[in-house]
Amino acid sequence: MSENEKEGSMILEVNDLHASVEDTPILRGLNLNVKPGEVHAIMGPNGSGKSTFANVIAGHEDYAVDSGSVLYNGIDLLDLSPEERACEGIFLAFQYPVSIPGISNAYFLRSALNAVRRYREESEVDAVDFLQLVRSKMALVGMDEKLLQRSVNDGFSGGEKKRNEILQMAVLDPKLAILDETDSGLDIDALRIVAEGVNALRGGDRSFIVVTHYQRLLDYIVPDHVHVLSQGQIVRSGDKTLAHELEREGYSWLDSGDKPKKSEADQKVQEAS
Amino acid sequence: MNNEALQHWNNSLTGQSEGLSSTEDLFSTRRKAGVDSFQKNGFPGRRHEEWRYTSLKSLSEEGYPACLPHEGNLPEVDELITSSDIRIVLINGVFRKDLSDLTALPDEVRVEGFSDFRQRANTQEIENFDRMLPLSDHPFQSLGDALLDDGLVVTAIGNTDARIHILHAYDGTDTSGSAHITGMIHLEGGARLEILEEFRSQGQVMGNTRWGIHVGDECTLSRQRILRPGCDVVFHGSRVEVGKAGLFQDLIAGSGSRLVRNEIHVSLNGAGGHTDLFGGYVSDGDEVVDHHTTIEHAVADCTSREIYRGVLGGKSRGAFTGMIHVHQDAQRTDAKQSNDAILLSRNSEMNTRPRLEIYADDVKCTHGATVGELDEGALFYLRSRGVSLEEARRMMVRAFTAEVFGEIENEGLREQIIEQLQAAMPASECVT
Repeated sequence: MSENEKEGSMILEVNDLHASVEDTPILRGLNLNVKPGEVHAIMGPNGSGKSTFANVIAGHEDYAVDSGSVLYNGIDLLDLSPEERACEGIFLAFQYPVSIPGISNAYFLRSALNAVRRYREESEVDAVDFLQLVRSKMALVGMDEKLLQRSVNDGFSGGEKKRNEILQMAVLDPKLAILDETDSGLDIDALRIVAEGVNALRGGDRSFIVVTHYQRLLDYIVPDHVHVLSQGQIVRSGDKTLAHELEREGYSWLDSGDKPKKSEADQKVQEAS
Repeated sequence: MNNEALQHWNNSLTGQSEGLSSTEDLFSTRRKAGVDSFQKNGFPGRRHEEWRYTSLKSLSEEGYPACLPHEGNLPEVDELITSSDIRIVLINGVFRKDLSDLTALPDEVRVEGFSDFRQRANTQEIENFDRMLPLSDHPFQSLGDALLDDGLVVTAIGNTDARIHILHAYDGTDTSGSAHITGMIHLEGGARLEILEEFRSQGQVMGNTRWGIHVGDECTLSRQRILRPGCDVVFHGSRVEVGKAGLFQDLIAGSGSRLVRNEIHVSLNGAGGHTDLFGGYVSDGDEVVDHHTTIEHAVADCTSREIYRGVLGGKSRGAFTGMIHVHQDAQRTDAKQSNDAILLSRNSEMNTRPRLEIYADDVKCTHGATVGELDEGALFYLRSRGVSLEEARRMMVRAFTAEVFGEIENEGLREQIIEQLQAAMPASECVT
């Protein structure tokens, strides 16, 4: 495959991305390429920049991009507002989903779906069609229909909140989904249900970036590529076996600066940069 | 207010008041008292404790002192989705039988114009009126007394239900001025009324409306007041007495009015009485929205709830003064009061004054006030799902006022109110 063909087929190309929060640099030259249909896992210790990366891609204004570029389907992502990114097909499943008392989950989901549909110049869905759609998606994530009439994430358990994220993903049908520590705060049963929901949405050209601290989630959502983020850079990349290696060895080798020997699993995913 | 401005009012009052009193009725003493009181006190300045946050200075402008002509047109606004087929129209303060539809009125409910009432009222009815709306040196009451003319009298006696839509329309397009409306609502014998009071206005107009309300034992009055966009000056005062197991529910919603002063005085006089006072608004520009409530827990075993919520942008100002007075004998009172505001701009302002006076020892009284900003986290969450910034901001109006409007049973009306407030949501100052 020539370099040009490779470039053209990327859904996400992150080049030398530097970003900071309140003037503290967090990302320091991150490079990542994701092809349509691929599932990438980004692992790393606390404070390595995993959530910052997820939020920068989604367009959170508290995170300032200092330099570098992000191309999404060949367009400059950093130029787009958060809502434009969502309408273009980027979805961030929040680590801490926000509760909005006073807005029902149904109203919220329908507003979001219709906003996205308007952007894509599709007709808006009426209440009846919406209900039909959302019911089928709720079955997919094993969610109680009663949660539709409740306020968004208000009083939801940790598992319900994460399922609600996956439900939104299923309804909005994104091209690139980023799961930010979706496993945090979930017991093993909830984790399995959420992972099954994600797996049901895998396939075709939809790409995923799964951000996680623990390898556990990756037993259920099996990635094509695993990257280790440390101090704002991807320091190692490999296939799914890298996750197991990290599980055994932890992240302490990152601090010591004493990189473990390259395993056979390593791939040169970052070659393009 | 300076002397010259007051002179406009005084000249105008004397002439107009005397004109009204040349008609045959028993209210000329009352008019005279109103003129005297206003001439003595005028409009209070902001040094007056009860008017600290609301300036009445603009009322000194020429134009307001004159009464609006009796003839006027209905301002064009989308019809409200109501569930009532009884419709009462007042234009420039005058009850318009020709535009009203009372055919569905149950036998137990009587509606008449105040000008009819005042010409036929007997001594006992006048005593009753004086009890419900006692003479006072309140500026708007004094004006209402001085210019006592038309309004409404609604009486419901017996086991009956009715829903009534009252449309107050003010037409100040050709000539500016004021309208002073006096209303009485009298419920007895378990009557249940729902009243939707809608205000539409155009031009430089002051609408001065006051109600004396009696909710008898086991009666219910549910009132919703909606200020449609474009009102200039709205004064609305209510004195309400609630009997045993009586219920008075009130809600006021509005946006786009220059100056709103809403005063409610509710006295819970019988055990098991309850009142809900709710309000929700969005303001912008130089608008002022001032809610001023008093709840008297006069006897034991009554309950009350107050929720007022405002979203304020521009240089607009909100004020809330909420007095809860628990009398010595009012044991087992349960009173909840909350007032919350979202300030959208640096120059918007909210002043909250809860006032609790509790003389009984076995009571539950809670009050809370918050002033905050739009929840940035929620905004980002909505935007990350494709909702535009402006729509996300409007959704936050819905979220913030949900508790206030959530209990409106008519879904169409509820949506209409929320959409009016959402449409009034000021645009974000810095779009990113």
